[in-house]
Amino acid sequence: MRIEKCYFCSGPVYPGHGMMFVRNDCKSFRFCRSKCHKNFKKKRNPRKTRWTKAFRKASGKELTVDNALEFEKRRNMPVKYNRAIWDKTVEAMKRVEEIKRKRQARFIMNRLKKGKMLEKEEAITEVKKNIHLIRAPHAGKAKQLEAKMVQKLQEDVDMADEDL
Amino acid sequence: MALPLLSRSLAGLLVESSSITHHRTFSVSAVAAAIQKMTRVRVVDNSSLGNTPYHRAPRVIHVYTKNGIGKVGDKVLLAIKGQKKKALIVGHKMPGDRMTPRFDSNNVVLIEDNGNPTGTRIKVPIPTHLRKHEGEYSKVLAIASAFV
Repeated sequence: MRIEKCYFCSGPVYPGHGMMFVRNDCKSFRFCRSKCHKNFKKKRNPRKTRWTKAFRKASGKELTVDNALEFEKRRNMPVKYNRAIWDKTVEAMKRVEEIKRKRQARFIMNRLKKGKMLEKEEAITEVKKNIHLIRAPHAGKAKQLEAKMVQKLQEDVDMADEDL
Repeated sequence: MALPLLSRSLAGLLVESSSITHHRTFSVSAVAAAIQKMTRVRVVDNSSLGNTPYHRAPRVIHVYTKNGIGKVGDKVLLAIKGQKKKALIVGHKMPGDRMTPRFDSNNVVLIEDNGNPTGTRIKVPIPTHLRKHEGEYSKVLAIASAFV
């Protein structure tokens, strides 16, 4: 028993689910549900259909090159049964799954971090542009003017003192 | 790769147009129905009778079942090159049981009266649920190279 991958969405096809189609060039296609099958019959390209994993990997939205993903590749060499190997493999599978999930999550987080930075900059420029909504434009002007006049007077007084 | 696209585009055309084209090695049909009398089939083994071109496609003239409907694993009588020949259905366009593959053409393997296959090799994938008729079709399964 083997859990196959859907040709269209790359999701798992469990036994008893989905459909298989064999084309006349002897290539077989498995589909997890009729949604994928119908899209296939409409000749849609999974690499261009936005909700499929194929699209996400092709457009760099998800982790593509990683050691953890190598474990999922199909090997055509059968391994001689050995109970120790069997048990170890089960343990290894759990650990690999954990690591893979973390790496995938981190990849997506890193991708989205840029968005956060851009958001922050956008917010700053927005505040600067619309500062008139927060603080009246001539709010502190009177005080500033007063302070300037005081300073000027002070300077005049100082200059007068120097002259003297 | 152009061939399956060609078959797909032609599947929408009328029946008459496909009879005009000669030397077509597989049948082009618009309807996905099981195999019955007068269906054109595609012979998938490497027998000379199945592969030599003829101006008429091989056609089913009798289905050896209680009702006249042929599914995978049923025997049929074909008319090929003006002769009658028995054959075994190994795949049809109609969706079948769950967990059985659906093929893009109605595939058939030529067979003798005693159940021995006429050809020596079958390159097209054969559904694995034929194996439950291990006794009868064991020789056909033996010459198949790909299973699906």
